[in-house]
Amino acid sequence: MSNLIAIFFGMALVNNMVLAKFLGLCPFFGVSKKLSSAVSMGIAVLLVMLVASAVTWPLYHYLLIPYGAAFMRTVIFILVIASLVQIIEMTIKRTNLTLYNALGIYLPLITTNCAVLGITFINIDQAYSFIESLVAALGAGAGFTLVLIIMSGIRERLELADSPKAFRGTPIAFITAMLLGLSFLAFKGMI
Amino acid sequence: MHSFTKNFAKGIIRSNPTFILLLGLCPTLAVSTSLDNAVGMTAAFTFVLIASNFIIALLRNMIPDRVRIPVFIVIIATLVTIVDLMLQGFVPALSKSLGMYIPLIVVNCIILGRAEAFASKNGISDSIADALGIGAGFGLAILLISFIRELLGTGELALFGHHLFSIPGFSDNPVAIFMLPMGAFFVIGTLLALFRWMGVSKGE
Amino acid sequence: MTKKKNEFFPVIFLTLIVLISVVALVLTNGITKDKIATVKRDAVSEMLATLFPKMDDYTYDEASELYTPLKNGEPLGHAFMAYPKGYGGTIDILIGLEPDASLRGIRIIAQQETPGLGSKIVDQSFLGQFKGLAPTDVRLSRDGGKVDAITGATISSSAVINGVREAILSKLNAINNGGTN
Repeated sequence: MSNLIAIFFGMALVNNMVLAKFLGLCPFFGVSKKLSSAVSMGIAVLLVMLVASAVTWPLYHYLLIPYGAAFMRTVIFILVIASLVQIIEMTIKRTNLTLYNALGIYLPLITTNCAVLGITFINIDQAYSFIESLVAALGAGAGFTLVLIIMSGIRERLELADSPKAFRGTPIAFITAMLLGLSFLAFKGMI
Repeated sequence: MHSFTKNFAKGIIRSNPTFILLLGLCPTLAVSTSLDNAVGMTAAFTFVLIASNFIIALLRNMIPDRVRIPVFIVIIATLVTIVDLMLQGFVPALSKSLGMYIPLIVVNCIILGRAEAFASKNGISDSIADALGIGAGFGLAILLISFIRELLGTGELALFGHHLFSIPGFSDNPVAIFMLPMGAFFVIGTLLALFRWMGVSKGE
Repeated sequence: MTKKKNEFFPVIFLTLIVLISVVALVLTNGITKDKIATVKRDAVSEMLATLFPKMDDYTYDEASELYTPLKNGEPLGHAFMAYPKGYGGTIDILIGLEPDASLRGIRIIAQQETPGLGSKIVDQSFLGQFKGLAPTDVRLSRDGGKVDAITGATISSSAVINGVREAILSKLNAINNGGTN
């Protein structure tokens, strides 16, 4: 049990997807301007990460490895993710139209989110068990959402601040990410 | 021929994928800790981009609209896997240091983006020119960032085992933070601001 | 007639593309598979040679996963791998034992620890501490052992230390219960 907790917090804070592993940067900078969109994106990504991990793990260990087809993993995983996103998108559209409208175009974008494909690779490379993979995905998604929320909160206020002209917008966002990353470094001693 | 050079030049400055379009940042920041990595990543990335643009431009009139995204993904994923396997077998040192960022090229927004925005709508030679230009732009960006990070982060520069340059007195106490992720954010943020100040970027 | 064909064509096309890519990948895998396996073996034998410089050949026993470096056919000791989970991923460690089973040394073959911090586990200043230690001494100094952790990289250091100790203890059982040469 303590192992699972370590994995969760490790993925969420210490090895944060965005700040430590550089995964999920595109949506990070594109979506983090407003708090509401940040939350929506974060939850959507968390969901996809969880389901993707749940599907790719057994696929890899029970199908690819026994047939000596480990090299197919990139192709298979990305196809699984793309299909999952499609299915999730259609399901949400049919069951909860308000949620669907809130998530908008962010859903299909999740397919190209390196963090989602990244977590499926990490699950394999770190030799996680099935449960450990799910926990890792949960942690990764939670960490991603957390950073996204913090970032959007900061950026909403930055809009009103008086930054140097050249830095306004994206450059100052990067500097903010750096400071955020620095503060997350403090978590290294945690585990 | 004129459109070839035009498309090529566009990718380097005006539509520079890293500094202007702000795409494909994941590998750029992750891998830019050394010049060796930067060169390796650029080579792998550009190869996939050229091949992908070529194939998609070749097949563009045959690909049914409804399945075009899955088709692009399969093509790109196959190319990436080929590059990944080739590197593991023939350039293992590079494969080890680039790690999972090679297979992650498949979700690099640049490649899918170019397939969708350009190669599916333009001729073969134009698409290849576009790929070369974008690849060069990507390469320049990642090399620049790696140059700064390696120089300031370790105090010296090395390329494929050849020691190039050390800053005297600095290499014993370099600013290690540049080698960490936050250093990458800092470098690219500052570079972006610099370019904007120089008036090169497009409006936000 | 044409309407039906148009309905199925997208799926047929996609399937075709998938088939072509599978063929391409299987071919590529065929070409690179042996090379990749060789690369992996070379990495180990290279490291084996740094632990046992007098080595001119080695044998590998699949059952016990034990390497035996040889000189002129005579064993120089034993070596085996350990794969503890480090901070950033699995750490591949090659552990070398003298013929009398004392610790000759360890080499880090692969690691994904933090550059500049945990990655220092590959430095001689850290690795050199392991030479000649008894298994019970392979512990952090603060836990009563004889190995100092790398400042700021306790997790990476502990992973190596604990991984080495546990691997030695379990392998000593294997060596003692019936020699492998």
